[in-house]
Amino acid sequence: MKTLNRFLIRLRNLVTGQRGDQRLREELEDHVAREAEANIQAGMSEEEARRRARMKLGATEAIREQYHAEEGLPLLECLVQDTRFSLRQMRRSPGFTLVVVLTMALGIAATTTMFTVVYSTLLRSLPYPQSERIVAIHDTRIAGQSAGGLMTGPRFYDIEARNRSFSSLAIFYFDESTLIAGKKLPNYVKGAGANAGFWDVFDTAPMLGRVFNARDDVPHAPRTVVLSYPGWQRLFGGDPNIIGQQVKLDQQTATIVGVMPQGFSAPGGADLWHAAQFNTNDWGNYRGDGLRDNNVFGRLRFGVTLAQAQADLDRIGEQLRKEYPSSDGAWRFTSETLREDWYGQVQSALVVLLIASALLLLIACINVANLLLSRATTRQREVALRRALGASGRRVAFQIFVESVLLALAGGVTGILLAFVLTRIAAASLPGILGRPGTIHLDGIVIGVALLISVATGTAFGVIPVLETRKVQLHSALKRGETRLGGSSGNWLRSVLVGVQVGLSLVLLVGASLLGESLWNLMKQPLGFEPEHLLTVRVLLPWDTTPEAVGNFYNDVQQRIENLPGVEAVGQISSPPVTDFHVHGSFNADWLPQVANQPAISAEIRNIAGNLLVAIGTPLLTGRAFTAADQVSTVPPVLVNEALVRELMPQGNPIGHHLLVDGQAHEIVGVVADVRGISGAIAAEPGPAVYWPANTNGGWHRYFMVRTKVPPEQLAKSIREQVYQADPRQSVGEIETMDQLLSDAVEQPRLNAAVVASFAGIALLLACVGIYGVVSHFAAQRTQEIGVRMALGATRSDITRLFVRRVMVPAAIGLATGTVVSLAANRLLRSQLYGVQPDDLRLYLASLLVLLAPLLVATLRPAIRAGKTEPMEALRAE
Amino acid sequence: MFTKTKKDVQSGTLALMVLKTLNVLGPQHGYGIARRIEQISGDKLFVNQGTLYPVLLRLEQEGAVESDWGTSENNRRARFYRLTRAGHKLLEAEKRDWEQTAAIIARFFEVKAEDLA
Repeated sequence: MKTLNRFLIRLRNLVTGQRGDQRLREELEDHVAREAEANIQAGMSEEEARRRARMKLGATEAIREQYHAEEGLPLLECLVQDTRFSLRQMRRSPGFTLVVVLTMALGIAATTTMFTVVYSTLLRSLPYPQSERIVAIHDTRIAGQSAGGLMTGPRFYDIEARNRSFSSLAIFYFDESTLIAGKKLPNYVKGAGANAGFWDVFDTAPMLGRVFNARDDVPHAPRTVVLSYPGWQRLFGGDPNIIGQQVKLDQQTATIVGVMPQGFSAPGGADLWHAAQFNTNDWGNYRGDGLRDNNVFGRLRFGVTLAQAQADLDRIGEQLRKEYPSSDGAWRFTSETLREDWYGQVQSALVVLLIASALLLLIACINVANLLLSRATTRQREVALRRALGASGRRVAFQIFVESVLLALAGGVTGILLAFVLTRIAAASLPGILGRPGTIHLDGIVIGVALLISVATGTAFGVIPVLETRKVQLHSALKRGETRLGGSSGNWLRSVLVGVQVGLSLVLLVGASLLGESLWNLMKQPLGFEPEHLLTVRVLLPWDTTPEAVGNFYNDVQQRIENLPGVEAVGQISSPPVTDFHVHGSFNADWLPQVANQPAISAEIRNIAGNLLVAIGTPLLTGRAFTAADQVSTVPPVLVNEALVRELMPQGNPIGHHLLVDGQAHEIVGVVADVRGISGAIAAEPGPAVYWPANTNGGWHRYFMVRTKVPPEQLAKSIREQVYQADPRQSVGEIETMDQLLSDAVEQPRLNAAVVASFAGIALLLACVGIYGVVSHFAAQRTQEIGVRMALGATRSDITRLFVRRVMVPAAIGLATGTVVSLAANRLLRSQLYGVQPDDLRLYLASLLVLLAPLLVATLRPAIRAGKTEPMEALRAE
Repeated sequence: MFTKTKKDVQSGTLALMVLKTLNVLGPQHGYGIARRIEQISGDKLFVNQGTLYPVLLRLEQEGAVESDWGTSENNRRARFYRLTRAGHKLLEAEKRDWEQTAAIIARFFEVKAEDLA
């Protein structure tokens, strides 16, 4: 308390600049006068009396200093003084300041942006109450490919009835439908049909109105709709009086009961949620793969761990395998946290990018340290002068330290401003789940961490020039000529910095080249279709449309699009390549042994119609395509892909063989080429696939694939018009070019490669600037030495070699170390690589060359200039 | 210039002397305090009497003394220092501390080799 009081008084004195000088002087005068009086009374002369009195009092200046120190806060005062001095210094050399601040800013901006992304996704708690209790439950095939974790309805209700771990369970399926509000044109909407438990699991209050509850979620209850914020904005312009309004959803009346707040995006991209209105006996005895289209989440009961819940799910899975061996025998439940479910896919990419940005920051800091060091050597005389005038070593060091920290702070603040812009861009343009609105934003914690990092680096690297000034020998530095000969101090440190910088740049370059090579490998894979001039058009009918009406509608639209000018071929498919769509089927085959409950073939299923193969450019290898007659057949034939033949009938001709489903034999009439990305991921090798005539099973949702002679975008508007003319109650979903879909599919690898490559580019630039600076500095420092050497017979090339060696030795050591570090570190990249090994020697060599070329230029330029020095001029220079 | 027997006292000790002086003599100006300390310590303490003033300032900031301009016996303007309640308490506490320390040190000096055996 006492100390605090005193501190506050002193702080007030400091801030108000209030001084007790006047008071002290009066008191001291009074003191001397009294002492003198006493001395006079003791018999001294007046002069002698005053002299003695002053002597007894002591040195007035020293007392005043002491008094002053008690009055204010000397340390803080120094800080203020030093800050002013440093700012003056910065203004005096704006070029130096700019370079340092910009270099720091680049490093800080890159790191802050990456950290923001990592923090927003992997660290910050997700925007749901107690989100750590939300668990994604996946249905997983024990061996072989799953269906993206999707679950059948019956299995969900079995979990709901038998579990002991979850306080609530959510089930929802994605659906797309047509929404008509009042007299407006039909709108294509993406929605989720969810149970009432969905709202308990995600536990978020609506912004307007209410969410639907158990009473709304029973069969035949009045239909209710909850809008997402983006859906509310897009479809109703954010109308605040929307609650209670009736709309037509797939031609059925539904009431809008609520609007969710902006950040609520479970699942992402949904315009609305409606009650699924499932009935546990909807499916009868059928539990097959045709029902596998539901996402399931659960909220853990208090005190239940994920491991306990998983054990519970294992128990239920085991029971179901015994009870329903034919349908459930090959499946088990797996679970993961909501965070893993959302961001598990991108986690390793993000960590790699974060490390890359940290390396860049380190390189930037080393450059700054190098610059500060160079300046410290040129300022030796200034330091010596200040020391000679009575500044203590500590005081000078403190001042230089303050300067470093101020520079770092300026860099940090600029970097954070830059990061602010970068994060805005990133939030809007990151691919996939990272780009969901509201996911990525800079907040106080991140800004705090960034500031802390910049101050910490400023402190760490500010120490280097301080060390340098401590070595200043007063007399030799003042005599200035002393630095003429021999290497001056600090050069070894500079060499180490050069080595580290070059090594780190190599690590980044190798990483970038590995990622670039992966991207190239991905993009040059044979696709099995021709993406140019290909338009994809999403159209879907209400799910309960009769198969007959479905067939008529799609045939009609097919005709209409074919007749449009500029169209070459049109086909229909249940989902185009590289879209995330899973429908798996299990079959037996007439050429394979049949084992009960273990179907011989598990394959992707696609329904096709129209002239699909020609439209997307997938070659038919043998046999024939579907005819119009196949599309109305009761036991339709099928097409299979090459992978299925390769895997299951390596020798022999599949044409004329049969796939067996539910006791019916479907003839294989043709074999088509493998289509890459058929199950979403473009990096996955295409597995077996079976194509069915779409009209035979009433597939109500399809894409039209339109090959055009003109740029495909031009046709979008007329296609929409044709669909509207075919059925005015029908909306058209996204119309995208295949090129766009492909580019989306490689967006994450492209982002990785682009970010790391730009980091590597900046690192290379910084390394060159650093080395150029170091060599120039050496040369400038040793002009006289060059003169002496040349006078003694050294040739120009000797001088050039001297400087090149000076830099290339540490650079070579740095490169060797960098290679070793890369070999170790790039293992982290393995999950991000495609078709390339992390220790691919070609890429290491290429990176070395790419790095060495500009480094040599940066070294040679100042070195050659040094070699051109005129000996006489150099000797006269001082 | 100065004899070596004079000791430059630590500011803490000096502060204690100031407090005690004010306690005994009541409000005093700087010179009076210096004079008194000098008398009691037998001219053996001060190298520089001026060092008293920073100590007085600190005591004032700590709230142990208060000061104000006043008129002294011969009608001269002088700054008078007065002990506050907090100053009284501080003096008591410091005194106890000091006595304790002194007693312990004294006991150490009394100890003879055979006592430690």
